[in-house]
Formats: sequence, C-alpha cells, structure tokens
Amino acid sequence: MYALEVKDVTVWFPGQERPAVEEVSFALPEGQIAILIGPNGCGKSTVLRAILGLVPFTGDVRVFGMPAADARRQIGYVPQRLALDMSLPLTVREAIRMPLLGARGTETDTSVGHFAHALGIADLLDRRLGVLSGGQLKRALIARAMVTSPRLLLLDEPEAGIDVGGEHTLYEILARLVSHHGLTALVCSHELDLVFRYAHQVLCLNRRLQCTGSPAEVLTADALKQLYGPVTALYHHRPGGGT
Amino acid sequence: MTEALAYPFMQRALAAGLLVGLAAGLLGVLVILRRAAFFGDAVAHASLAGIALGVVAGLPPLLLAAAVAVGIGLSLHRFERMTRLSLDTILGFVLPFFMAVGVLVLSLTPGFQPELLSYLFGSILTVSWQGLAVIAAVSALVAVVLARRGPALVFAAFDPEGAHAAGLRVAALLTLQHVLLALVVIASISVVGIVLVNALLVIPAATAKLLARSLAQMFVLAPLFGIGSVLAGLAVSAWVDVPSGPAIVVMAGLVFLAAWAGSVRRGRRPPPRGDRTGGAR
Repeated sequence: MYALEVKDVTVWFPGQERPAVEEVSFALPEGQIAILIGPNGCGKSTVLRAILGLVPFTGDVRVFGMPAADARRQIGYVPQRLALDMSLPLTVREAIRMPLLGARGTETDTSVGHFAHALGIADLLDRRLGVLSGGQLKRALIARAMVTSPRLLLLDEPEAGIDVGGEHTLYEILARLVSHHGLTALVCSHELDLVFRYAHQVLCLNRRLQCTGSPAEVLTADALKQLYGPVTALYHHRPGGGT
Repeated sequence: MTEALAYPFMQRALAAGLLVGLAAGLLGVLVILRRAAFFGDAVAHASLAGIALGVVAGLPPLLLAAAVAVGIGLSLHRFERMTRLSLDTILGFVLPFFMAVGVLVLSLTPGFQPELLSYLFGSILTVSWQGLAVIAAVSALVAVVLARRGPALVFAAFDPEGAHAAGLRVAALLTLQHVLLALVVIASISVVGIVLVNALLVIPAATAKLLARSLAQMFVLAPLFGIGSVLAGLAVSAWVDVPSGPAIVVMAGLVFLAAWAGSVRRGRRPPPRGDRTGGAR
C-alpha cells in the first residue's frame, strides 16, 4: 500500500484561463522523502493544498488507502508561512500543543517535549512564538505538525526564509524524523542542492507532472532546462572541494 | 455605591454588567485571534435594522435585532468563502448596508422615537429581570461552549488552514464563533449600546494581550478586565451621575492605556514587525 496516491488531480481556480495543476498523478511508498520541484507558479503548493482539501479539485487522493478527506488525522502539515500576529502572547508550547485540542496530562506534555527536543527547540517552549527567528519558527511548526503522530508529513518550502546552514539542519532533522518515526514526507522545494541530497524521489511539476524518479535520474541538465528554462545549472559538490 | 446596591435596579445592572463583562472578555480573545476587531461594531450597527423593524412593527426590538445578528453570524463565513473577500471587507459591507436599512425603516415612522437612544447608548440601569435572564443565558452558553470546544475554536480562529489540515471542521467552528459573538453583542447592547458595544469585546482582550505571557493568561485576564471595567464604570456613573455605558467604556480605555504604559516601562512590548530577525538558529 502506498502512503499517498494522487490520481488525475486537476485544480481549476475560478476566473482562470487554465488549470493551476492538470491531471497530476503520482504515488509515494511509505518511509520516503519525495520532493516536488518546479518554477514559481507551477502548482507545487496547490498540489499540497489539494491533498489537504484546502482547494476544490477533481481526481482522487488516497492516504494509506483511505480517501484523503477521511485521513486528515494521518497528515501533518507545515505551511510555508504563518500569518502571525507578532504581539500575540502565544507561547511555543501552546502553539505546538494546539492540534491536541486542549488534551491534558503527562502523555501530552511528553509528546510536546519529545518533538520540541527532536527539533532542537526544547529551551524555547515558554518563549512567545512571535519572537522566534525564521528557522526556529519553522521548527516549531514542524513540531506542531508532528505532535499528533501523523504518518504523512506535507511541508511547503520549509527552507523559505532560512539561511543556508539552517536549511541543511532542517532537512537533516526531517530525514531523522522520517527514519525514526516511519514517516513519509512530501516536500515542496526550490533548493535543488537539498533535493539532490535528501530526496528519495523527485517530482518535477509545471502544471503537469513532467518527470519523476530518483534525484540522479531526474536532476539532469536537460530535465532542468525543460522545467526551469535555459539558465538552470546544478552543481554537484565533490568531497574535497571543486564542482 | 454600596447604598445604591440596595436598589433592585442597581443589583440587576451590576449582575448584567458582570455577566456581559465576562462573556465579552472571553470572546474578545477569539476576536483578537481572528483579527476581526471590527466584528462587534459591524454586527451591533447592523442590528439596528432589526431594532427598527421591531419599533415599526410593534414587536420586541431586541428580539428582531438578535434575529438579524444571528442571521449575519450564520452566513458570514459562508459569504466569506463564496465571495473570496476578506472578513473585514465583508463586515465593511454588512455595517453600512443593514444600518442604512434600519435608518430607512425608521424614517417611515413619524415622530421621535425616544427608546432608540437607549439602544444607541445603552441603559444598563433599566435592565429588567427578563433582560437579565437573557444575558445570563447567553453568558452561560458562551461558558459552556468555550469549556467544551474552546481549544478547537482557538485553533480555527488562530490558523484556519492549520486547523483544517488537523481534521477540524473549520467552517462550522467559525460559524459557531460568529453566532456566539452575535448573541453577546446583542446582550451587550443594553449595557453600553450599539455605538459602544465593540469596546467591551475588544478593549479588555487588547489589554490582556499587552500584559499576558501566554494565551492561557490572556483568557484569564480579558474577562477580569471586562468585569473590572463594568464595576468601575458603574461606580463612576453612580458617584458622578453620568451615563453608565460611556463610563464603562472610558474606564476600560483607561485600564488599556495604563497597561500599555506599564508594558512599555517594563520593556515587554514586542519589536516592530521590521525588527524581526530571520535566519535559522
């Protein structure tokens, strides 16, 4: 059984001349990190939003064999950004435990503490969410998505607004979460270096799915030129320097 | 003040004010989370259409005002999704449209309508036992709903998409929040009137936001500030012989200003938006 099956998904926003994404189909085996790549406006976030039922779509989405609408508690979602009121006195602890909907007890606190520790933000739990840096906020959002123990994690450009070192740290943490918790992750990203390093499967999207495969299969000069245009080049860093 | 409490009308006023201060303070936190500070104003002013219909038709004005307000509360989120307009834009339509309907209906009625002034500026000292029972019922409903569905309402108000992704029925939760707010707004009209009703929703919650160290604290402080403002306003009203509604709102405003000054002095204000540092640490 696949963790996620997307079949012929088309999203057409009202008033648009063409669909935002058209007849997109792919399947993710359990325990993998799949990364959706493509130029701005290609529909990456729209695919995630369709899986979550945040936009109307035609086609079929199944999560662990169930219709996605019935499996939302199996899904954790990390948005690209949170429209956060900086002055709100919401603590990191309160934000992370929000999906637990007020559940109290040792188990809840352990769960919040466990994921805060795994994400490296255990010492920030009593800080206000609004004072966190971009990287800390992303980690808090991942902890919030993980706290209900989902089996499928959807992340919309988790590296957005984070410096280069922070990007790698975040993906290292993601890879660790996937291997330790048997998760499957579908990530939207623009960072081809990260894609090459961390993805098990790459999905190239430009309204339609252009190609899928392992990073070595997909991240070729020709495929990227077709997807992004002629200015794209991928530099594979070799140990000891040089490209 | 203590002598005044010997009078039944003052006891009813005090009870009504305390109950409204509690309910409006609690719901005010959701209003702040939803960034819909305009909500109370819009629904209160729109309810003038119901009050006008009641005056013209000889029916209980507040009952018709409640019908208009609850109708708006029920349809607001659906309208938001259908039109894809933001909540504040829709409220910007609701307020003048329904208020204009109310004014037009009233213009059809010859002569001066003295009771309209009590709806516009409140008349807490004339709250009847029946009115008090309605306010108590609305406050109890707010308390019960928040006790049972509070965390879900908070999640839906703070981050609707995240709440939807977590499996919550966000549309139903936001509609429930709007209906509760509409009921509290109508219940508050007798205390501070249409013109000032939003103050009881927003000012205590905003004051709590300045001082609280967590969302949980905000839910404790906001109703306390609401109740405190009502008590102080009633005391000032009885002492200086001024209208109680504006006195309550002025007291709430002074507490807000004092809290703001205190938070600035202790350096607890968050940095302006542009000062937030980026990058992962």
